[in-house]
Amino acid sequence: MAILTGRYGEVLLDPAPPASPGTPAPVAIISINAWKASFKTPKEDVTCFGDTNKVYVPGMKDVQGTIAGFWNSVAGGAGVLFDAADAAVPGFLKLIPNNTAAENKWFWSGLANLDAEIDCTVEGAPKITSDFTAAGPWARAVGP
Amino acid sequence: MTPTPDSSLVDDALTTLLLNDATLQSLLPDGIWWDLAGKTDRPPTRFCVLTHVSHTDVPVFGGRGYEDYVYQVKAVMLNALSVDIKAAAHRFDELLDDGTLTVPGYAFMAMFRESRIRYPEVDAENASIRWLHRGGHYRVQVAIPT
Repeated sequence: MAILTGRYGEVLLDPAPPASPGTPAPVAIISINAWKASFKTPKEDVTCFGDTNKVYVPGMKDVQGTIAGFWNSVAGGAGVLFDAADAAVPGFLKLIPNNTAAENKWFWSGLANLDAEIDCTVEGAPKITSDFTAAGPWARAVGP
Repeated sequence: MTPTPDSSLVDDALTTLLLNDATLQSLLPDGIWWDLAGKTDRPPTRFCVLTHVSHTDVPVFGGRGYEDYVYQVKAVMLNALSVDIKAAAHRFDELLDDGTLTVPGYAFMAMFRESRIRYPEVDAENASIRWLHRGGHYRVQVAIPT
């Protein structure tokens, strides 16, 4: 393995995943050029008298992130994010840093509530962003 | 992966648009050239010069999202009447500002003027000769179809 490029990243969404034990069928969103996910765990400061350094207790992992790209009116483009923002149920999101990896193709996936924003200026292509937060367990896996 | 389109076709489409315009043919009879005027049967004295100023590929996952070009489009005239070079520059603007290009392999997004060009140039060999330059910088944006 070597360092891989993010150029071949991918974001897939199943806007209405089946209930467990059904298998979600996420589809790639078109004209996306960035995603970011955070898996930070907040820490409670429990430092006490006599401690020689600060002491923390981990809380619960907070899964959230952002998807970004360009507005594309084609089916499978930005519209799926705006539909997801209005959806009553969370979608199933799959985030891939490089979809050409021959081996150890990492991805993160899980249920997510999505927002959607569009930023349109006179000079360039309208940009879309979508913030997501976990709506169920998230996991990192390796595979297709 | 989306097939990579031929970026030179954007240059060609711009050239064709200007070449086929009867008004420009009349005002600039010595042709449309890229970068430098070429040799013709007589020294060119009224012509258009196109220059590639900048280009950016804007990526999306899976390939190129769209391409962003800036072209310099200017009329060059020798000791011309002001009215003629004004007309040529105005004609560029009529054709290109909010105009349309048809480019095989691309989906057209936008074309518009970003800035204006106007300056005189003293001939390198004869200081009594003035070359007039007028036109503009035009931005062209074309998307890769999905």
